[in-house]
Amino acid sequence: MFSEQVAPTAQGLLGPPSAQPPTFPRVPVLGYSDCSGPFRLGERSFGRQYAHVYAVRLAGMRPTLGNDAVLRKLSELQVGEKCCVVGTLLLQPSILQEISEEHNLVPQPPLPKYIQPSDELILEDELQRIKLEGAIDVQRLVTGTIVAVYGSEQDDGRFLVEDHCFADLPPPLPWNGPTSDRFVLLASGLGLGSGSGEALLSTQLLVDVVTGQLGAEGEQSCAAHISRVILAGNLLSQNTQSRDTINKAKYLTKKTQAASVEAVKMLDEILLQLCTSVPVDVMPGEFDPTNYTLPQQPLHRCMLPLASPYATLHLVTNPYQANLDGVRFLGTSGQNVSDIFKYSSMDDYLEILEWTLLAGHISPTAPDTLGCYPFYKSDPFILTECPHVYFCGNAPRFQSKLLQGAEGQRVLLVTVPDFSTTQTACLVNLRNLTCQPITFSGFGDEDED
Amino acid sequence: MADELYLENIDEFVTDQNRVVTYKWLSYTLGVHVNQAKQMLYDYVERKRKENSGAQLHVTYLVAGNLLQNGHMCHKVAVVREDKLEAMKSKLSTIASVHVYSIQKALLKDSSPLYNTDYDIVKTNLHNCSKFSAIHCDAAVPRMPPDIPRAQTSLQGSSQRENDTGAPSAPAVNGHGPPAAKHPSQQHKGIMGMFAAKAASKPQDTNKETKAEASGVSTASSKPPTKNNIINNFFGKAAMNKLKVNPVPEQPKEEKEVVKPSVAVAEPESSPNPVVEKPGKRTESARIQQKDRKSKTKHVDRSDNEEERDPENAKRKRKRIKQLQSDSSDEEADIPPPPTPEEEKAPSPPPVTALKTELEPATMEVSAGGRKRKRKRVLKSKMFIDEEEGCMVTEKVYESESCTDSEEEFPKPKPPAAHKQPVLPMKKEPKEERKSLKKGAAPANRANKQVSIMGFFHKK
Repeated sequence: MFSEQVAPTAQGLLGPPSAQPPTFPRVPVLGYSDCSGPFRLGERSFGRQYAHVYAVRLAGMRPTLGNDAVLRKLSELQVGEKCCVVGTLLLQPSILQEISEEHNLVPQPPLPKYIQPSDELILEDELQRIKLEGAIDVQRLVTGTIVAVYGSEQDDGRFLVEDHCFADLPPPLPWNGPTSDRFVLLASGLGLGSGSGEALLSTQLLVDVVTGQLGAEGEQSCAAHISRVILAGNLLSQNTQSRDTINKAKYLTKKTQAASVEAVKMLDEILLQLCTSVPVDVMPGEFDPTNYTLPQQPLHRCMLPLASPYATLHLVTNPYQANLDGVRFLGTSGQNVSDIFKYSSMDDYLEILEWTLLAGHISPTAPDTLGCYPFYKSDPFILTECPHVYFCGNAPRFQSKLLQGAEGQRVLLVTVPDFSTTQTACLVNLRNLTCQPITFSGFGDEDED
Repeated sequence: MADELYLENIDEFVTDQNRVVTYKWLSYTLGVHVNQAKQMLYDYVERKRKENSGAQLHVTYLVAGNLLQNGHMCHKVAVVREDKLEAMKSKLSTIASVHVYSIQKALLKDSSPLYNTDYDIVKTNLHNCSKFSAIHCDAAVPRMPPDIPRAQTSLQGSSQRENDTGAPSAPAVNGHGPPAAKHPSQQHKGIMGMFAAKAASKPQDTNKETKAEASGVSTASSKPPTKNNIINNFFGKAAMNKLKVNPVPEQPKEEKEVVKPSVAVAEPESSPNPVVEKPGKRTESARIQQKDRKSKTKHVDRSDNEEERDPENAKRKRKRIKQLQSDSSDEEADIPPPPTPEEEKAPSPPPVTALKTELEPATMEVSAGGRKRKRKRVLKSKMFIDEEEGCMVTEKVYESESCTDSEEEFPKPKPPAAHKQPVLPMKKEPKEERKSLKKGAAPANRANKQVSIMGFFHKK
């Protein structure tokens, strides 16, 4: 994508200075509309219970599920009758952890995965719940998923599942993509403030490529086709969290400044460099100074005094949805996927991403294991339309896949890797929905890569 | 010829100034397009090597291209040393670009000098960081014009040119925004000036101190310098502890400033002194300028002296914050805190504490011999509003020396005990107390505990 076009002029800058080096104009934004309205919280009242979230979720997704077979509510079930029930899945975890907490035993260390073979699945609808067994993989599924199961109730009160299905891909959106090459750069996990020098040079190289300072003429002209940069969360590193100051005595920490202050200053400078050259969308992530619960609200512009005057800077929510040049983007900073990773046997971030798309919900584990705002009117995480590009940030490595749906949907799934560890970002070509990773490196030690 | 000029410039930068010359740095310094800068660097390398094959030049290149990695065709952008250039090129299946990244005399172990050079030059040019770039974006216009000068001035720090253009238009619009932003830039100078002044004055003061002690002469000359030492003690300690805004050390600091000009007037003793005074005066004038534009003042109802001093205090506070913030950053060195104050602060506490300890025995021996020796510390009652506690604070900084060294810590134990004193309500900053208590207590304990207690009662 990038390289083939530019190869001829690759060595062009190895020579005496030319008279008038070309300046390439950045491709103008064809169309941009921010569709993350549902993710912005207006009034925030936490006085409600979370049960409403599940209720609206079920109500919202019930219509999309199970129209063929006999549809029953749980309260209407009769033993032995094959029918279809729609409800919310509840994964009942093993109770050992709860016991240990009760008896003040040594708390369990944080595990990468919290699944156990002894977990059970329970289906719950508006009124009742029932245990599930049968052709359903307990380990794969997570709490909060809306599912339709087909089977019958047993004598012992359990439901024997013969088949189950999810909401499947939402209806497709019309395609208005550009006809010429346009790129969107996806990067996440810049991890500023971590004190690692190598990553800083790579970040600077990234900024230089995008702003057209690096590279030969061909590469710069290609970089001019980058119409947008999306930074998908974790702009600050985990080291800036300074959680241990909570445990220290106040007189020790009173005069010290939070580590995130310096990191945000660095971020401001980097954003300024980017904003003078390309529109940037900044999504908050797990370690960024914004609220913890999903949907995370945009970073406040007072933190970025240098960059915020520029109209090219957009501070957006997490999750983020927008129409860029006619292509619908939807993505998160990765908290939803990593949470599912912890509570399910699925190991592959791309697989999890695909699964959430098929389940029709961005983040089913909220609010059970992932912090979430107590919605009561509607659940904004339900996927009502199928995006063209669906991404998640802060993945361990880069992966991408083009998914074709039965109704003609085409979705590009991208797991954006964590930049501070992999020094890799992604370039999405909007014309043909392909994605290419772009890696940066300096030279530190003697190894080649 | 214009072409030769850039060659000479590069030559000067690389060989004479021993810099790491990256293409970006060259582009900003010479004001040329980045591509031209890259080509200039290449040209220079070629010519230099042709002329003199033993030239001590190390070159790093930027290579970009396609690389098959993990099953993907990955686009790789890498900065490589010259010796690894061919190896990297052979690894890439398609080469997208190759150009010179930097030239330097020394062989680089890793790429952090490259990063630091670029970071520094970008930091000083943040307002036009895309000026010489190859891509120009029309959409990137700042929303509100007043914010540009604000961004400019808060960044430019020491560079003067942008300040002139930005300064006149800024003050009207955003309330305390632009003046506050401008303050840090000038305050940096002020702080640097003060640090330079302090560092210069300290050895000077030490000399004067010992002279005074030896001769036992109490003249006005040694008075301020010794006070300066104590002030410097406070100042150094405060800086080292990375305390947040503390008006009290700034009081002594400013006292020093106020005093120093008078000292200069009184006796230009030796050469360091005028040097010391000049930065002091410069900061004073800068501050006075600042005062006019300052729109935010928390101090009300002051005497003349206080009025002049308190906005300066607040400004000094801001200076302090900025200074301390940059110092207290634990992040790595790519955040450039002003290096000079740090260096100067580091040596300042050791000599300061040394001075302190030698002051103690000095007062001790003198007081033992009688009440002849006057410590040149003037008791000054300062009144200001303490924002932390929201009250007016009157504070005695130094005791006049009719007493022993216990006088030194005397004011400090007093405040915690004497909250009910109607005559001179003293409420010091708790940090100040602790600091001075720590400092004063240690030598005092060594010296003579009984004496200190007696001094306490005498004082009453």
